[in-house]
Amino acid sequence: MTIIIQAQNISKWYGKVIGLNNFSLTVESGITGIVGPNGAGKSTFFKLLTGNIKVNAGQLKVLDQQPWRNPAQLSQIGFCPDYDFLPGELDGREYLRFVGGLHGMKGPKLKGRIDEVLNVVGMTKDAERQMGGYSKGMRQRTKIAGSLLHDPRLLLLDEPLTGTDPVVRKELIDLIRDLNKVHGHDVIVSSHVLHEIERMTHMVALIYKGRAVASGNISEIRSLMSDHPHNIVIEGGGMVDLAKVLVSKPFTVSVELNPDRKRLMVKVDRPEQFFDSVPLLVEESRCQLERVESLDDDLESVFRYLVGW
Amino acid sequence: MTWNLSSVTWWGGKMKLDASFIGLRTMVQFSIRKLLLHRRWAIVAILTLLVAGVMGYIATQSDAGISTASDMMNLLMLTFLLPVLALIYGASMIRNEIDDRSIIQVITSPLDRRVSYLGYYLSLAVVLSILLSIITAVGGTCFFLMNGWSDGATELILAFIAVQVIGAIVYSALFLVMGVALKQPIYLGLIYVFVWEGYVGSVPGAIGEYTIRHQLQVIASGLVQDGSIATIGGDGGVAAMVLIALSVVFVAIGAFLFQDKEVM
Repeated sequence: MTIIIQAQNISKWYGKVIGLNNFSLTVESGITGIVGPNGAGKSTFFKLLTGNIKVNAGQLKVLDQQPWRNPAQLSQIGFCPDYDFLPGELDGREYLRFVGGLHGMKGPKLKGRIDEVLNVVGMTKDAERQMGGYSKGMRQRTKIAGSLLHDPRLLLLDEPLTGTDPVVRKELIDLIRDLNKVHGHDVIVSSHVLHEIERMTHMVALIYKGRAVASGNISEIRSLMSDHPHNIVIEGGGMVDLAKVLVSKPFTVSVELNPDRKRLMVKVDRPEQFFDSVPLLVEESRCQLERVESLDDDLESVFRYLVGW
Repeated sequence: MTWNLSSVTWWGGKMKLDASFIGLRTMVQFSIRKLLLHRRWAIVAILTLLVAGVMGYIATQSDAGISTASDMMNLLMLTFLLPVLALIYGASMIRNEIDDRSIIQVITSPLDRRVSYLGYYLSLAVVLSILLSIITAVGGTCFFLMNGWSDGATELILAFIAVQVIGAIVYSALFLVMGVALKQPIYLGLIYVFVWEGYVGSVPGAIGEYTIRHQLQVIASGLVQDGSIATIGGDGGVAAMVLIALSVVFVAIGAFLFQDKEVM
């Protein structure tokens, strides 16, 4: 495997605010997920990778070069930021002509490449429409098309799924996987939702409060997390019977029934086993489920557990 | 030692010369379009109507003549509209893109940031030149339509258009660099326009000569035969050289600041 990014003890601070703190990470080719809660430092990391900001300490190499004050390297990198910046008065094709021009592309070669990337992201039909009227999913696709246009070796996608509905999310996940498998781009994609990243890649790095707290294969990280008790809320009818069944299960740590008997708070030490056995639990207890939700879905609690805070 | 002309090392960054040219051309094309389509055109339209109204009204006064037209164009356009429009457009051009983060497309492209900055500058200077030329032409035409098209009227309008274009070139360079260097460039810009150019520039003596406005008036005095501006002393060629040198210095400073700017 080729190393595409090497960050050694890098720190970045904005005045008194620390963006990254003694951050070390090695990323190899393929798809790598950067996962962390909001404010963890994901966007700061991407800004450093694209040379928009410079490190205050440590060493950062992207494709074997330092990114700060190195615009030539950006011909090998495509960046899709997490925020919306597309000019509403341009149509999709005009926007891509602008991006292509900035990369020194012109003429039939540019036109051909625009058609190609519009096809890859599924935006050919809407490319002549003004971007001000685009949906969130269409804007995300167009941003990705812009980052793909110059056929970069490395694609940096910062929270590409944020704000999209489940259908668009699935399509974007499939697209990101294809960008690597079919089109051969190395991809670094960030998200604050672990299971979304899991559907794209098995290689992840977890970032929390400016530090890389774990990186590697997702199954290894999952095993690190498996001992961490998860709180799950269950609502519906027949909760008393469900509570009786739950206490007999090996993954259950504790069960707490609300006075109205319509709500259960379950603490489990192996959440995957719990979720896998939900159909069986319903069958055994004959309860009617209205809501099942993990309160630990936000990564904060998991990260606090991993770093021992 | 061999030279490869298709690929040059430019200020440390390496990008093919033709690709840099395409990048620069793209910057200019899209920035001009963005500036012209911006809702600020409404302000420009109102200012144009105001200038047309004032010039037309002055032209109907009993003692109005070509000298009056010259004085009014000096006061309204050269002294007021030129720096104010340059401030409105120039100080906000890059600053707004940094604030709304639309600059990301430019700074994540392989185009050297100094070339991008040059693209911003050229677009700004072109757009300001076009707008100021139109306003000057409309104002002058209104005056002479109401007052009668006298001998030298066309020459007067063309002379002021030429001076406005030179002014647009130098003020664009000044206010663009303010937009890169400062978070709130408009405040310093207003102080500069109204205190330095307006107040200090009106003080008799040598200090008043250290303004862009004065240098433009010196150039204008060589082109215009009517009005008080024609009596301003000085060498127009030297004034033009001073303004060109100032523009080059401001653009160079801006380009280097932009290259080193961390964009959060």
